[in-house]
Amino acid sequence: MRAVRSPLGAHASPLLRTGRSLPFCDERHQRAHQWLVDEAWLLDAQAYEEWLDLLTEDIHYLMPVRVTTALGAGYDTSPGMAHFDEDKYSLSRRVARFLTEHAWTEDPPSRLRHHLGNVRTFATEEPDHLVVDSATLLYRSRGDVREASVVSAGREDLLRRTPHGWKLARRTVMVDDAVIRMQNLAIFL
Amino acid sequence: MADQSGVLADVRRGMIPAHIYNDRELFELEKQRVFGRAWVFVAHESEIPQPGDYVVRRVLQDSFIVARDEKGVVRAHFNMCLHRGMQVCRAEMGNASHFRCPYHGWSYRNDGRLVGLPFHQEAYGGEAGFRRKGRRLLPAPNLASYNGLVFLSMDPDAEPLEEFLGDFRFYLDYYTRQSPTGIELRGPQRWRVKANWKIGAENFAGDMYHTPQTHISVVEIGLFREPKAQKRKDGCTYWAGNGGGTTYKLPPGDLDERFRYVGYPQQMVDRMKQMFSADQLRVVGDDGFMISAASVYPNLSFVHNWPRVADSDDVLPFISLRQWQPISEDETEVLSWFAVDAEAPEEFKALSYKAYLMCFGSTGMFEQDDVENWVSLTSTAAGSMARRLLLNSRMGLLEDGAEVVPALTCDQFHGPGVAHAGYGEYNQRELLNRWADDLERPAKPAPTLEVGVGEQARVGSPA
Repeated sequence: MRAVRSPLGAHASPLLRTGRSLPFCDERHQRAHQWLVDEAWLLDAQAYEEWLDLLTEDIHYLMPVRVTTALGAGYDTSPGMAHFDEDKYSLSRRVARFLTEHAWTEDPPSRLRHHLGNVRTFATEEPDHLVVDSATLLYRSRGDVREASVVSAGREDLLRRTPHGWKLARRTVMVDDAVIRMQNLAIFL
Repeated sequence: MADQSGVLADVRRGMIPAHIYNDRELFELEKQRVFGRAWVFVAHESEIPQPGDYVVRRVLQDSFIVARDEKGVVRAHFNMCLHRGMQVCRAEMGNASHFRCPYHGWSYRNDGRLVGLPFHQEAYGGEAGFRRKGRRLLPAPNLASYNGLVFLSMDPDAEPLEEFLGDFRFYLDYYTRQSPTGIELRGPQRWRVKANWKIGAENFAGDMYHTPQTHISVVEIGLFREPKAQKRKDGCTYWAGNGGGTTYKLPPGDLDERFRYVGYPQQMVDRMKQMFSADQLRVVGDDGFMISAASVYPNLSFVHNWPRVADSDDVLPFISLRQWQPISEDETEVLSWFAVDAEAPEEFKALSYKAYLMCFGSTGMFEQDDVENWVSLTSTAAGSMARRLLLNSRMGLLEDGAEVVPALTCDQFHGPGVAHAGYGEYNQRELLNRWADDLERPAKPAPTLEVGVGEQARVGSPA
């Protein structure tokens, strides 16, 4: 997934996975899996301040725009365009906005459920870093009778052990739709 | 179909029957009478820089391949095989010398010409049965470009694009001609919203009044260097030709200072001074107005704004183009592109892109709240009570039609068209008046084409 480059991601760690996925009984996998489950719970609850604390200062949070291209074209993301291409500052502004009383798109709030699966953990060349693949399906319901919307995506995360616990240092979200079927992405994946 | 003359008369008085934002009959009329004749944006030439590059774009349900052929000519082909009607291109973008239909293998060069017809002799008896020579994918009825913006009209007799845009071109240049090379476009982000397409077009054309309310959160989190929402009323709206937009009032300063105030580096300012006309420069330097949002009838909008992109006092300007692509009376696909001057320094491009993502598009903090409003409005407009309510869109007018504030004089505003300082709904009325004019005028019958036989263009019955 890190084949997708952004000029806004140059500050982020370039660490890559090594070897096969760790066995499910490996403590590192269990730790990473629990981290993702705990994170999903925070995102469902829109506990965004706590979520922000789980991100490293050098985070790069990228969600490219997917495009339909011919088999063999060699790319399936829109060159130079993303939905999210964030650093800690821009993520902090997004979170700060939700904490104002005037983020109308989330008042009344959505009911969110991040369904998590297909978790695979990989070692890297540095023991304090793990690469984790996962799938996420976000169900978002607004109002009483509006049709709910769904976003399906794969993710590749880089987790880093810090003195304050494991934190997210890099995330690439590969959404499965070329045309998003949600009124906005006032959510995180 | 119901007689709509009452609806159109109300619209022309600035009293908007609320159901026009969710009405199936009106949408059917819009398909024929608005989108059947207007110039509709499909692509920018920078999206297809090399021979063979293409993007696939729609006008309502019609899919067009917008391609640069081997000679560098930009063309738009209707994406339907002449034989059985299959789409000959099912990707959104790419590079191809030919498009081959997967059904029976007919193939077309990227200039549209039919070059491959399997078993032409055996199956058709060659040219005697099917005239292949000169056959091509159906070209767009009309195609033209301005500053690299490619527009398509479904009307072969449409007025020339430059006349259609008219004096709005003066303002279009600020967004798209900051250097001799012009803009490069990235994207689009695409997403679907349960809102009528007209609402976005009206909002971007002239709704300065919503900024202090809808977008107050963006000010509260310090994305702007000053409490800007309240300053919105110091700007002006303008309407010229087939489009109009909004501006911000700039603090005192000379031309260079005012461009730099919104974050343009001096080298970009120097190029703009070469590119823009004396009057285009006076609007900024003398009159102190900086363009912000705008719309071209019917469904293309622009935005230019200058937020902070890091924890500092510096701001960075960005430009976005967006199209409100109608899906139905209550659904719109938004296509939102990031645009930047191709000659801008790379660092500026990166930060301008960041500014765009923070403010507009699928994740933009402005856009998130806009769409919530528009979805709500559209769903409420569906019922019978909405048919009893005429929304007042007369801001800026007294009951007798006199203006609340006089239009700016030529000395106060050096741009063409009519401009007013402060809040008003002049531009929303201009946009909907054009809509009413189009809805009133029946569509002409479109010619049909018989494939492969004789001289085949003829005028058939209207679609």
